Amino acid sequence: MAEPTRDFFAKLAEQHQPLPAGLTGLMRFDLADGERTEHWYLAIRKGDITVSHNGPEPDCTVGTELATFEAIVTGKMNAMAAVLRGAVEIEGRFALMTAVQRFFAAPADLAPDEPAAGYARRLS
Amino acid sequence: MSSDVKILDGNTFVVSDDRGDIEASLTDPTGLFSFDTRYLSKWVLTVDGQRLNPLSVDDLQYFETRFFLVPGTGTVYIDAKLSVIRQRAVGGGFHEELTILNHDEKAVDLEVRMEAGCDFADLFEVKDDLKKKGEYYAHVEDGRLVLGYRRDTYVRETWISATAACTLDEHGLTFSVHVEPNHEWTTDLHVTLGRGVGGQSFAQPKYERHSKKALPYMERSLEKWLDEAPRLTCDWDPLNRTYQRSLVDLAALRFSPVSLPGHYLPAAGLPWFMTMFGRDSIFTSLQALPFTPELAKTTLLALGLWQGSRSDDFRDEDPGRMLHELRFGEMTAFEERPHSPYYGSVDATPLYVVLLDEYERWTGDTKLVRNLEQTARRALAWIDDYADLQGNGYIAYKRRNEQSGLENQCWKDSWDSISYRDGRLPGFPRATCELQGYAYDAKMRGARLARKVWHDPAYAERLEKEAADLKRRFNRDFWVADGQYYAIALEADGSKVDALASNNGHLLWSGIVDKAKAKAVARHLMSPAMYSGWGVRTLSTDEARYNPIGYHVGTVWPFDSSIVAWGLRRYGFKEEAARIAAGILDAAEFFDGRLPEAFGGYPRELTKYPVQYPTACSPQAWSTGAPLLLLRTMLGLEPIDEHLIVDPALPQGIGRLELLDIPGRWGRVDAFGRGRVDVEKQARRQRQLGVIEDGGKAAKTRKK
Repeated sequence: MAEPTRDFFAKLAEQHQPLPAGLTGLMRFDLADGERTEHWYLAIRKGDITVSHNGPEPDCTVGTELATFEAIVTGKMNAMAAVLRGAVEIEGRFALMTAVQRFFAAPADLAPDEPAAGYARRLS
Repeated sequence: MSSDVKILDGNTFVVSDDRGDIEASLTDPTGLFSFDTRYLSKWVLTVDGQRLNPLSVDDLQYFETRFFLVPGTGTVYIDAKLSVIRQRAVGGGFHEELTILNHDEKAVDLEVRMEAGCDFADLFEVKDDLKKKGEYYAHVEDGRLVLGYRRDTYVRETWISATAACTLDEHGLTFSVHVEPNHEWTTDLHVTLGRGVGGQSFAQPKYERHSKKALPYMERSLEKWLDEAPRLTCDWDPLNRTYQRSLVDLAALRFSPVSLPGHYLPAAGLPWFMTMFGRDSIFTSLQALPFTPELAKTTLLALGLWQGSRSDDFRDEDPGRMLHELRFGEMTAFEERPHSPYYGSVDATPLYVVLLDEYERWTGDTKLVRNLEQTARRALAWIDDYADLQGNGYIAYKRRNEQSGLENQCWKDSWDSISYRDGRLPGFPRATCELQGYAYDAKMRGARLARKVWHDPAYAERLEKEAADLKRRFNRDFWVADGQYYAIALEADGSKVDALASNNGHLLWSGIVDKAKAKAVARHLMSPAMYSGWGVRTLSTDEARYNPIGYHVGTVWPFDSSIVAWGLRRYGFKEEAARIAAGILDAAEFFDGRLPEAFGGYPRELTKYPVQYPTACSPQAWSTGAPLLLLRTMLGLEPIDEHLIVDPALPQGIGRLELLDIPGRWGRVDAFGRGRVDVEKQARRQRQLGVIEDGGKAAKTRKK
């Protein structure tokens, strides 16, 4: 069932992600799905991200419901708003979460209207 | 009761009346606020059921104040045998030391009551009178009173406790107090943000809990701040006071972003704009660079972390775009407002690259420039890929969030700020002229960084080529030939929006102005239609929409004038730059060194003093930064390679100006300026700086 989450982390690990290059730290996502909780570790080292299911004590933990996380990674919910709402709890270094939120998808239900003349011009 | 006593620490601040009491209605801006949320809306002290009467208020520091009170109301004191002192310091909530002194020869027994309550209003609700959607609760647990608000998963709590024995109930604290003759009773009251953003308290209390006095450790931090800033001496004394005021106000305006605890950037204004604003934080960092370069560093890091990554119409976000404003309140949390963050600023992105380059020129911190290489590249790409909304190669803006987005996304953001000479308003998208200057400067500076730090000469060449092309087109398309200045904007159909505005000075600063055109532009800026005697008007008096007290259509903005002065210096107009410095610094003296956001555009001869534009925001960061930038332009400070060049041009009224220990890649150096005035003769006379006749004469730098 957790395909969007799996896809999200798989994609993160596959490519070199454009993070502010000095950023280094370990994050853990605790995603609660009923009785059980999935743990995802992101090791961020100078902009490179590696993903695993275990690791040492993280610098930043992100705790939320799996369904909430899916809504966020697919662009149905804004991550920062969810944090402010208490739907996502952050402990530790907030900078890491700020850096990673850029990989969440654009709002899914809001297809852009007719873009202006030169908007997203160079993009295919 | 007047309700204007404010103390603050970052985005936490308290506004109370002069008794120290808080009795806020939903729309009334008093209370304890933090992260854009009110954490206390009622805080009323009574002694034996009586309200207290203020004798005096001491503003000890920007974060600390003391109220001297006596029991009784009205003008006749019922019982002056008691006095009450409330000393309050803000810092992750607030701390109040409450003392009651018994001056009588017999002991007294008193019932002291602190009534407490909270509406947990969002700042946006306070501004717009909106109703709450969640529910309130209050209970006593573990020796403290908990006030709370819940809406789904959104929970905010205020925790209140006292050091002296008391009875807690859901509406406050009651103390049964016995005070011997000529003795005193005291208690500490702690008000903390029990539950805040993300389910935890961001702001831990910052007091020394066991210390006798209510001193947060901020006092030492202010001392350190003042200690590390360059020292100024000037024979024109008001400048010393203005400088000191600017440094203290800038300290108060420091804001530590959630993502970078312990590091500070300038927030936009106090108290309602104590948050990260792309444009304001960048401009203030630029102004303050020669004094406190660490503000620029934090600004670059924090904005970089939040750089836009997707197309989000609600937030006007694009990949590579820099944010406009970040907010933490309930309406943002429930996406009723787009500030999580909101990206609707069109100048912050090019200005980000400008700041990054200027920061490196001063500090030599190539490590930061390397770390932010991808960030800067994406910002530069945004200019071409997402901002060309007219399809003609110019930066333009048009909001995609029609409900709560900003219509004008340049610094002159009021509805009528961009107009034709005859008063007509152009349509959208709008390409205002200063944006093209910022884009040009960003490309030129990006090219320098690409060559020097990123070792990518091909990219540097491409950027320089684009910049040269932009400059050529701009000087053709925006130039109003019959007026000899640049139009304020271009419409999508190519029409020149032909009002003459202060934006021309920003163009000088950016370097996009053709050398051959610079003289005409400088002449306009210093003409009676633009220069009021105090500063440069936002709009020329010859334009249909000119209004001396119109927000962006005739008032003088100290920030704007400081950039104009910088621009004039860039093109060699030293004396003109000194005249602007003279006017703004003379004006500052009328405001005790604290320049307002804007003042009226009336001619100086007419009013003799600058007429303040009414505003709720004071001090404002980029007004606070204006005297700092003017010090730079007067002394002609310019970092070139490993050196600081000093080339002073002082207003007539200044004989001697020294700025010592200027930090930078050179370590610390001193800069000296000498004017033409006979210092000995005039030293005892209070002068206004008035009109400049000539530049300064001497300068030297000294390496430490």
